[in-house]
Amino acid sequence: MFSLALKNLLFYKSRSITTFFLTFMSAFFFIVYVAMMDGSHNSMLQNALKVYTGAIEIYKKGYRDLGGNEYLLDTVESIEKKLESIRGIEEFTSRYETYALLSHKEFSSAAMVAGIHPDKESHMSQLKEALKEGVYLQDEAKNSMYIGIDLAEKLHVSVGDELSFIGSTSDNSFAADLFIVCGIFQTGAYEFDSSSAFVSRKYFDELTSARNKASYITIKVKNLADVDVIADNIHKVLLDDTLEVVTWKILMKSMVEAMQVDSIFGYISMSLFFVVIFFVIMIFSYINVSSRIREFGVLRCIGLSRLDIGKILFYEIFILSSAAILLATPLGAYVAYYFSLHPIVIEGMSETYKEYGIVSDQLPFNFDMLTIMWNVGLIYILNFLSILYPLHFINSFKPIEASKHV
Amino acid sequence: MIKIKDANRYFYKGEEREVHALRDINLELKEGEFALLSGPSGCGKTTLLNAVGALDRIDSGEIWLDNQEIGSLSEEKRVKIRLESMGFVFQAYNLIPVLSVRENIGFIMQLRGFSQSEIDKRVKELAELLEIDKRLDSLPSTLSGGQQQRVAVARAVAAKPKIILADEPTANLDSKNSHSLMEMMRSLNEKEGVSILFASHDPYVTQSVRRIIHMSDGAIVAG
Repeated sequence: MFSLALKNLLFYKSRSITTFFLTFMSAFFFIVYVAMMDGSHNSMLQNALKVYTGAIEIYKKGYRDLGGNEYLLDTVESIEKKLESIRGIEEFTSRYETYALLSHKEFSSAAMVAGIHPDKESHMSQLKEALKEGVYLQDEAKNSMYIGIDLAEKLHVSVGDELSFIGSTSDNSFAADLFIVCGIFQTGAYEFDSSSAFVSRKYFDELTSARNKASYITIKVKNLADVDVIADNIHKVLLDDTLEVVTWKILMKSMVEAMQVDSIFGYISMSLFFVVIFFVIMIFSYINVSSRIREFGVLRCIGLSRLDIGKILFYEIFILSSAAILLATPLGAYVAYYFSLHPIVIEGMSETYKEYGIVSDQLPFNFDMLTIMWNVGLIYILNFLSILYPLHFINSFKPIEASKHV
Repeated sequence: MIKIKDANRYFYKGEEREVHALRDINLELKEGEFALLSGPSGCGKTTLLNAVGALDRIDSGEIWLDNQEIGSLSEEKRVKIRLESMGFVFQAYNLIPVLSVRENIGFIMQLRGFSQSEIDKRVKELAELLEIDKRLDSLPSTLSGGQQQRVAVARAVAAKPKIILADEPTANLDSKNSHSLMEMMRSLNEKEGVSILFASHDPYVTQSVRRIIHMSDGAIVAG
């Protein structure tokens, strides 16, 4: 049956080439499309996490919903000690965030001023890499402020300029001080760059009475895929019901939902593409089978069963699909791999990406063999399904009727 | 070898019987027969041939092939009978277009699991006998009608079936090719001992056969 199927394919060349081409194109584009979609989602996520938000953050319950100094973590050192024993954590640091009024000459702006550990922070986020002018914060720096480029523009300041700070301390009293702009950063995330300023905690803790306190502790993990397990372990180790351990999936819920919606629409548009491919292949199989009714009738008259006819059609689609997929898979995988290393840069996308807090307008593809395997598996299944109706059609004829079909 | 007892076949239009195609057929075909079902168009020749060839079932009665009743078998069981015991020659040759002459002749042997050396030997032997040995590697579409029908005969006889059923085998051939084909089929019948049952009203066939079974309105009237 196999050799007969092979001969059929070589004999009916135009139909074979069309089916081969359609299968090749659908497999190739599916692999590339999914790699691009997954890649852009991963990139959005990685970029967003790199900017400032941690993979996991520990809060006192109520801080995220209500805010305020009564919901600050007040046992930071003890929590950090416990975190050191948990596997999968790469780095962690505490942050103390407060909202303040910053002024320079006649220009003022409200901003989030955060006390950070500059050295630790440089391993956690892209704050240091985002330096545009001046220098990054030093742990020992006093009265130095590192501010976002859009905030600097609002306040009309540049490196070396003085800023007055009026805010509150952790015990709800006023704090006021003068800072010198040591550096200006640009992450590309407009909201962040226009409302954030950073000060070394060593100095800021004294000013705001925030020693051993923090708004939250942010954690970087070695493998983002393990984030739920690590969060669970943290929760078990901390054994404190007043604390909550929150992963990026919740911290960036709107982004995750946006990605899910985007994926759904992506798959819907792909499924429409597949419906078209499926019907085109099916119609070609049907036309081909219709033109061979007599041939199949003769085969059944001389001793082939319905099952044998099914085997012939199955082998035909198997050979064509396999050849097309064997060619499309390495090609699609290579494209996915190449663009995972050399991301596409889409000019003009950075503005759109800013809405999601994305630093880069690069679009790296996701290269994952498992994903590629299920992509081609789906194409295989669709191709096999496309012969079911033609097979039913041809087997609905009586052998003798079919052998006399004109 | 083949015994038909009180066989009836009806064709229906909706739920009503429209045609009584076979009427109480009783017939015996012995091994080595070279017989013809003869009669005017629509008399039931092809219907009887199809029933004998397990291509169609009958509504009542029995058809025995040796010790097996084949008249009321399911389609799947009839497929096995056709493959193992029957050979078919069709009016329109009906060769497999994608296979060469050699592959067409050996096709049924291959389905039945003969070894390649047995197939090669048999194909060569039949090709020489039917004078198509020079076209073994050609595709059917490149052959003349007469040559195609000889390939069809070779295919039918290759796996040594119990009986060959030939429905109007000369209908598409000119007189020279018809005569030549009938000579070759008669020679095969004599040399190989294979039984052949024709359905035809071609005078060349009528002249060549040893037994003529006359049919009229679905019934056997003589033979």
